[in-house]
Amino acid sequence: MAPVVGIVANPVSARDIRRVVANATSLQIADRANILLRVLAALRACGVQDVVMMPEHGGIRSHVERGLVRARARGEDLYPAIHTVAMPVTGTAADTHRATREMRLAGVAAIVVLGGDGTHRAVAAECGAVPIAGISTGTNNAFPEHREPTITGLATGLAVTGRVPPHIAFAGNKRIDVSVNGGAVAEMALVDVALVTERYIGARALWRTENFRELYVTFADPEVIGMSAIAGLLEPVGRDESGGLMVRLAPGGSETGPASDPGTTTLLAPIAPGMMAPVSVTDWRRMPAGVPFVPKVTSGSIALDGERELSFTERDRLSLTLRDDAFHTVNVAAVMRHAGQNRLLTGTPVPVSADL
Amino acid sequence: MSQNPFPLDKADLLKAYRTMRTIRDFEERLHVDFAKGDIPGFVHLYAGEEACATGIMMHLNDNDRIASTHRGHGHCIAKGVDVHAMMAEIYGRSTGACRGKGGSMHIADLSKGMMGANGILGAGAPLICGAALAAKVRGDRGVGITFVGDGASNQGTFLESLNLAAVWNLPVVFVVENNGYAESTAMEWAVSCDSYVDRATGFGMPGVTVDGTDFFAVYEAAGEIIRRARDGGGPALLECNMVRFYGHFEGDAQTYRAKGELEAIRASRDCLTILSERVIEAGVVSRDELQAIDREVADRIEDAVRAAKAAPLPEASDLLTDVYVAY
Amino acid sequence: MSRKISMKQAINEALDLEMRRDPTVIVMGEDIVGGTGAHGEDDAWGGVLGVTKGLYAKHGNRLMDTPLSESAYIGAAVGAAACGLRPVAELMFMDFMGVCFDQIFNQAAKFRYMFGGKAETPVVIRGMVGAGFRAAAQHSQMLTPLFTHIPGLKVVCPSNAYDAKGLLIQSIRDNDPVIFCEHKNLYGLECEVPAESYAIPFGEANVLRDGDDVTIVSYGLTVHRALEAATALAKDGTEAEVIDLRTLSPIDWDTIVESVERTGRLVVVDEAHPRCNLATDIAAFVGQNAFGALKAGVQMVTAPHTPVPFAPSLEDLYVPSADSIASAVRRTLSPKGARSIAA
Repeated sequence: MAPVVGIVANPVSARDIRRVVANATSLQIADRANILLRVLAALRACGVQDVVMMPEHGGIRSHVERGLVRARARGEDLYPAIHTVAMPVTGTAADTHRATREMRLAGVAAIVVLGGDGTHRAVAAECGAVPIAGISTGTNNAFPEHREPTITGLATGLAVTGRVPPHIAFAGNKRIDVSVNGGAVAEMALVDVALVTERYIGARALWRTENFRELYVTFADPEVIGMSAIAGLLEPVGRDESGGLMVRLAPGGSETGPASDPGTTTLLAPIAPGMMAPVSVTDWRRMPAGVPFVPKVTSGSIALDGERELSFTERDRLSLTLRDDAFHTVNVAAVMRHAGQNRLLTGTPVPVSADL
Repeated sequence: MSQNPFPLDKADLLKAYRTMRTIRDFEERLHVDFAKGDIPGFVHLYAGEEACATGIMMHLNDNDRIASTHRGHGHCIAKGVDVHAMMAEIYGRSTGACRGKGGSMHIADLSKGMMGANGILGAGAPLICGAALAAKVRGDRGVGITFVGDGASNQGTFLESLNLAAVWNLPVVFVVENNGYAESTAMEWAVSCDSYVDRATGFGMPGVTVDGTDFFAVYEAAGEIIRRARDGGGPALLECNMVRFYGHFEGDAQTYRAKGELEAIRASRDCLTILSERVIEAGVVSRDELQAIDREVADRIEDAVRAAKAAPLPEASDLLTDVYVAY
Repeated sequence: MSRKISMKQAINEALDLEMRRDPTVIVMGEDIVGGTGAHGEDDAWGGVLGVTKGLYAKHGNRLMDTPLSESAYIGAAVGAAACGLRPVAELMFMDFMGVCFDQIFNQAAKFRYMFGGKAETPVVIRGMVGAGFRAAAQHSQMLTPLFTHIPGLKVVCPSNAYDAKGLLIQSIRDNDPVIFCEHKNLYGLECEVPAESYAIPFGEANVLRDGDDVTIVSYGLTVHRALEAATALAKDGTEAEVIDLRTLSPIDWDTIVESVERTGRLVVVDEAHPRCNLATDIAAFVGQNAFGALKAGVQMVTAPHTPVPFAPSLEDLYVPSADSIASAVRRTLSPKGARSIAA
């Protein structure tokens, strides 16, 4: 039976306050639908006949539907059949959790995700062993790599149809588990956990650096934006290395003078699109996999992948643990390299001699 | 009591709660009295949407102007219009905010910066551009906020105003109150681009979407947007996703809604419940304090209805006055 | 000091004087400066026909070009008026009211009443009206009756430069919304106009010619046709009184009724379409209030019930002519037109 690919496309990513405070991108719904149509065309070209989508009321599905109707009207047969997960729509992250769970239970071969770090986190929380192919349509996108979505679609299609061996097609990823009061609340982050002193959730996005206290990242990449950049500009840690980095921050970063505390270093970090902010760094150290970390901050809120999600007080006990190889993603670069080396798209499935 | 984790002090938290509770009770009371046949004409209730008006208006003063919609009671109350004068107006009495000549759809109090509810959908947007222009000409740091529903956001007036505000760099905030329904028609069907942020982007201004049932989400986003406009940073759009507890107008059987929809939104998306649980859980405000406000508000609404019913009707001669300043 | 200037210059002068006098006066409209954002001259046009030319140099940013977006900027003018400014918004051709009428008749005109007398909306919307410019159906209409119909609006339509200046100054100082209609074929017409500022009160018609045989009431361009007709009739010994209404709302009923009571005959000339216009309005008023004085049925001379045609040969037939006015006067004088007292 031909593999089925799941699709989670978040219509409400890239809509938060960072449009106002930091000139962040507002990717249009029509653009997201166009991205999806490109992915669908690539999947179909690789032989995927059916996809199953998360339902949403944000318009992506209806724009995609317009694209399909127009293609059919012109007599084109470019796309797989689109099915929708039968579930109610709440318009919250709960939809992503539910849809991912249903897709996993239905046995999809992979899930293509359109969203930012937050959307990918919600999928990763429920996908189990099903690999994710991430496409960035959010604000602070440290997790999904920036790439033309057609190529992500092709790689996913090649991977799920078995033309690339799994050990090449899929890669393991790290995550940080957050446990509150011995597991009474369990959350996770794909890239970063930030502990901040402001104790309300509000507009969720994180941009006031004076409130940052502790930062835990799965990878510290100076080439991305957000919390991972703070860590990456101190000590880079790769996605494929074991373990992450923990950074402690002090109040009162300043662009003009030295940090108030002589024991701190002021770092200028790109914490949101177009927003370079000073952060006062006290110290940092490696965060080995499997070792629980207990924060020093006693009250505030926890931001996961850049969004304030939970608040906590001195009564709550927090623990953070990094896990290696926690879930899988389609390794687009490796798949496409393999496809080229083996001429997978030449119509001749068997590799031909390179010296012809 | 724990340390206050919110960006508002306790007095402001209580003020926000009192405003939201006043709007809710005002509307719930109208719902009942309308059904009894006590109220002439038609009314459009704001119940369920209180966090939006309140979260925004907490940032405004009397010098800031708002232009409202047909569903304007909540905006009026949050902008400080007197509840007794509003109730009397809705009852068509001479003591009303507009001396009984406007009714529910035209309540205004210019001294409070409230430029009127408006029976013409989308009409507030050009007006608020003018209010913002006046503030800009005077240099008084005033801002203008216009409210529009998801339905009226399709009006040319609204779209033209987005353009004008951007071109003139006016201190205007366009608030789209997206309750999912243009009267009875689904927003998903009627708004071709499906996203108000996309619309704002198309006119060269930032747009932000927030959960309009979360007072703090609205408060924080509105605060940033309003500050930016006040400082000369130009217009922006704020989309508040929210829920409407009643029909388009009173008497609407709401047969277009899905089965169980109303029960579900009342159970999980009641902005008053969300706010009160949040502040109680944080230990900043006690349940007793909120209940005391509930009693105080209930008494005030009761008194407003009693006073409205007892108030004199307009005189026959009032029919002919107030057309012109001088004619 | 008085000198001969055109109506276009008189309007420009009124705007200039009021902007100097009152800092809350701002002027906005499409191309009223002209060339904003373009790379050529500043103040390139000064209005599509140059009425506001030169004001930008004197008053700078208080003259604002707008996008081609009448709903938005007419609405903004109304909103700004409700917030303490005195905006003068130019609606280039009054015909464009079709895309912003809500802002005029549902907003500006109704604020004061709807808000229980607590609002003032001192906005002036000025624009071109009338046919004869070869501008065809959508740029030539005399839509004055539509505005006059609406309570809350004041409607002004001057016939000469002197009146235009004084009435525009009054319009700007007036605390109610005013629709100021400028007949485009009168822009070039010159007359003696004082250089200083003066205001002409609303609701005061101007008797341009005295006569005891018949009353001709008109406004705007057709006032001049009525005067021509009166001159021609005088040769036959008929003395017509010619009344220029100047403002249509408020309207000077007293002057009309007094005149009709003296002459016993009434011809009303209106460049608007024949149904529900100023002519029918005045005829009905006189019929109700001065019936006893009438010696003949009221005659109405109007444009036909058609859109304004383009072809010059047709358009010349469209606007009431001096001949058609004179014929109407003769009808009131003929035995057939006279009301039979015996009947």
